[in-house]
Amino acid sequence: MGEATFNAWKLVSLSPLPPWVLGLLLLGVAVGAWFAMLGVRKEAVRWRRWVLWTLRGIAAWLVVFLVVEPGIRDLQVARTRSRVAVLVDRSGSMGFPGSPGGPTRTEEVAEAIRSLQPRMEAQSDRFAFELLGFDPEVSPISPEALSTPATGRRTDLMSALRAVRAGGGNRMLSGVLLFSDGADHGALAEGAVGGARAALVDLGVPVNTVVVGGGALEDLAIERVRVDDFAFVRNSLSIDVELRGVGFEGQTVPVTLSREGQVVATRNATIGREADGPTTVTFTFTPDQTGRFVYTVAVPVFPQEAVRENNTRAFTLKVIRDRVRVLHVVGRPSWDERFLRGLLEQDANVDLVSFYILRTLADESNVINPERELSLIPFPMDEIFRQKLATFDVVILQNFGYASRDLSISAYEPDLVDYVKGGGSLIFIGGDAVLGAGEGRYPRLQEVLPVEPAGPPAEEPFVARLTEAGARHPVTSVATGQASSEAVWAALPPIPGANRTRLRSGATALLEHPGQKIDGKPLPIVAVWEVERGRVLTLATDGAWAWAFTATADGSPSRAYDRFVGNALRWLVRDPDLTTLNVLADPASVEPGGRIGAQVTVRDASYQPAAGANVRVELVDVTNGSVLGAQTGTTGEDGEVRVEFPPAEPGAYKLLAKAERGGQPLGEGEDAVAVRAVGPELADASVRPQLLREIAEVTGGRAQVLSQGVTLDVPLLEPPIVEVGRGEDRPLWDQPWALFLLVLVLGSEWFLRRRFGWI
Amino acid sequence: MSRFLSRRSLLAASAGLALWPAAGRAFGDASRFVPAMARHRGRWDARDSGLRRLSWELQRRTSVDVIPEARPVALDSPQLFRSPFLYLGGDGGLPALTDAEVGNLRRFLTYGGFLLADANDGSNGSGFDADFRREMARVLPRSRLQPLSDDHVVFKSFYLLDGAPGRLLTHPRLSTLQLSGRAAVIYSQNDLAGAWSRDEGGSWAFDVTPGGERQRELAFRMGINLCMYALCLDYKDDAVHLEHIMSKRR
Repeated sequence: MGEATFNAWKLVSLSPLPPWVLGLLLLGVAVGAWFAMLGVRKEAVRWRRWVLWTLRGIAAWLVVFLVVEPGIRDLQVARTRSRVAVLVDRSGSMGFPGSPGGPTRTEEVAEAIRSLQPRMEAQSDRFAFELLGFDPEVSPISPEALSTPATGRRTDLMSALRAVRAGGGNRMLSGVLLFSDGADHGALAEGAVGGARAALVDLGVPVNTVVVGGGALEDLAIERVRVDDFAFVRNSLSIDVELRGVGFEGQTVPVTLSREGQVVATRNATIGREADGPTTVTFTFTPDQTGRFVYTVAVPVFPQEAVRENNTRAFTLKVIRDRVRVLHVVGRPSWDERFLRGLLEQDANVDLVSFYILRTLADESNVINPERELSLIPFPMDEIFRQKLATFDVVILQNFGYASRDLSISAYEPDLVDYVKGGGSLIFIGGDAVLGAGEGRYPRLQEVLPVEPAGPPAEEPFVARLTEAGARHPVTSVATGQASSEAVWAALPPIPGANRTRLRSGATALLEHPGQKIDGKPLPIVAVWEVERGRVLTLATDGAWAWAFTATADGSPSRAYDRFVGNALRWLVRDPDLTTLNVLADPASVEPGGRIGAQVTVRDASYQPAAGANVRVELVDVTNGSVLGAQTGTTGEDGEVRVEFPPAEPGAYKLLAKAERGGQPLGEGEDAVAVRAVGPELADASVRPQLLREIAEVTGGRAQVLSQGVTLDVPLLEPPIVEVGRGEDRPLWDQPWALFLLVLVLGSEWFLRRRFGWI
Repeated sequence: MSRFLSRRSLLAASAGLALWPAAGRAFGDASRFVPAMARHRGRWDARDSGLRRLSWELQRRTSVDVIPEARPVALDSPQLFRSPFLYLGGDGGLPALTDAEVGNLRRFLTYGGFLLADANDGSNGSGFDADFRREMARVLPRSRLQPLSDDHVVFKSFYLLDGAPGRLLTHPRLSTLQLSGRAAVIYSQNDLAGAWSRDEGGSWAFDVTPGGERQRELAFRMGINLCMYALCLDYKDDAVHLEHIMSKRR
């Protein structure tokens, strides 16, 4: 059994008494000493008094010494090794060259760490250097793997630092050596400020940063697109595009905004200095159609650029409506107009703008001064049909047919045609002035109408009949279920007559005349179709007001007219609730390499979830219309099914979905999805040394620059010292000299008191 | 000859012919403007020529397509729902309506019909006035006749007007009964239709006091405004009109 080797000692009390007893004893000694001092204050000779005080004081200390029983404990101690995390950014941006034409930032880090290895080994008695990578998950990495390409899609320095702080078991973390380009997209994206700064302080360890890269890489990048998730149709929308152009300062570059291959606008941007932050270009435009669309912002690619993929950025924008803005233009006041107006006015979702022709030049108003005596205003044709037309969701032309120059709108027919084709909606209501009757002729507008005039009106009252298509169509579904809708329409009162029209190829008749025919087919009363991006509905009669008013004669109010008009508006403006199939891209913007998902909801004709429906979804490239793939699925009880496509090339795509059950089509739908060329990680090749300096400063670390050489002479917390073996105690109090000294002091004191005449 | 073509029918036919060549006409009669005249057990038809004349003036002065006649209609008949414009006049008392009449008239007003009531006797607190107010309390018990404000759209629905004179001008203000923000009933105690009426010889049936022919013209203008209100509701209160009309008023 060998002797233990002690390398440290400490003074301890060996008394078996508990501390509180020792405390009481010491207190008693102190009190005794105090009274002993008081006892000699009457001694008149000063030196005698001091001698006695000194002896009594020494005696008191000796008593304390004997009570406390001091001893020396011999110890065997050792200093532990604490952790030092060498944290390496493994995000995609580390794949950029450290300097133009040079090795990648990752390769530079690998080389730097190789060169630091000897110095790490030299400090291995105190510190355990742990080599970790984050992408953004933190995991150990070997020195050899450091040279492999970094592929992380995101940089989150704070999360990585927190993970390092929390890891390592019981071993203390003395510090962090962080190698990064600082291109953060997490909590530190806006700098070490606010909560992020406090979180850095909470780490409690110095973070020593090493800036990787920083050479003047030439790169033009769309760093960010600032746009809301949704916009209102026919309302002005602004999109801010932030450009960063290292090496492009002062150059003017064109920036193009496109919607699914169609150029929306182009702006020129002069790139500012890097130090001034990104250059912002603002696009302001007015979406003219509801739905979700893929927009792309692009700048040209220059040969010298470090990264080419960040010169385009795609995003999706959902265009919705706030209120349906309706323009109601009426040829003359009538009951048909009155009941339609009454309905539209009551609808809180409708913003109604009306223009009625109350008087023509042929009418004699019996006034001397029309300006003062009539409330009439000029018909602002140019304003509503040219300047403001695009601001309306729906235009209603009701029995408007004038040939006279002051009231004819023939000059605005091209505007109306463009409005419809561009995504607008039109309700064209017949009567005695249009659709083959009266003066109204619309040779150009006819192009977008689903019916065409086919002779003089049919002027016998009739009850309109629901067609087979009408029984399924949301516009004429005025009750729950086809049979109920048919019954409701059949029970409505007769209407006095109809324009004689012919259904055009591609159009759908929803209501028809029960007796009158044209080309062997019943006259269409309500017809619909889609023209390019717009929708049109024609109502070939001016007697629909009977459905609203006459229908109440028997005492039971009919809501058929209300529902018909409401359904028509919702169908025209493509209300999502009025479709039997809804397809939703999930997510709407896909990161590079991500799968494209489509969530499809199918409802039957009665708008109930369609379980067991067969759904087919095609992924279509909007730039060339090619179908890239198709996925199928079957809906569950909730009428929903999700399909996914493998990762696709960057670009804009449409998801076209169809559903059928038992051979019966259940509807079609589409949505847009954008596959981004680069994620946020690769959008910007620039280095953020300032952020890394701030991190070091806040945590008490040191900021270094890789290109200037890296040292391990950085602030680190000292490793703790611990006892590694049993200690050995050596008593001091039981030495004979202590007792002898106490007797000697007390004896001397007694002797002197006797000599001084106290005893 | 007289048996088949009285002077009255000849005048009516002449007026109808004058209207026929208008720019267009609605399909059948149902969609054209034709005032219905409420038939009751009192003197309900004292002003039928006045309504025909108003229709004629409406056709002549505005773009409205009109049938120049006044169609009698029983208040308890489904025919009431063939024209949303109903004239209810009376010279003297208005006998109590039957429950069927009350119910039918209530539905007519509730679902969009417009009633122009006219005290042909110019009464106030007695005669037609008292009886009409009593019956309206039965038809729409939750609503009360209120004075029509001077800025109501009926004073600017076609002509810019400041008052509502008829054959008389004893009650400068109209009364109204509102349903869902709409003036479903407008009531004149000035015998509006009296100012519009002609006798069988084609002359004005009544003198108009105190304003004479100028007042008669204003009564016609009020009648046309009432028809326009029935057809267009508060169209002239739309924001696009307000500023223009206000500038004319100044």
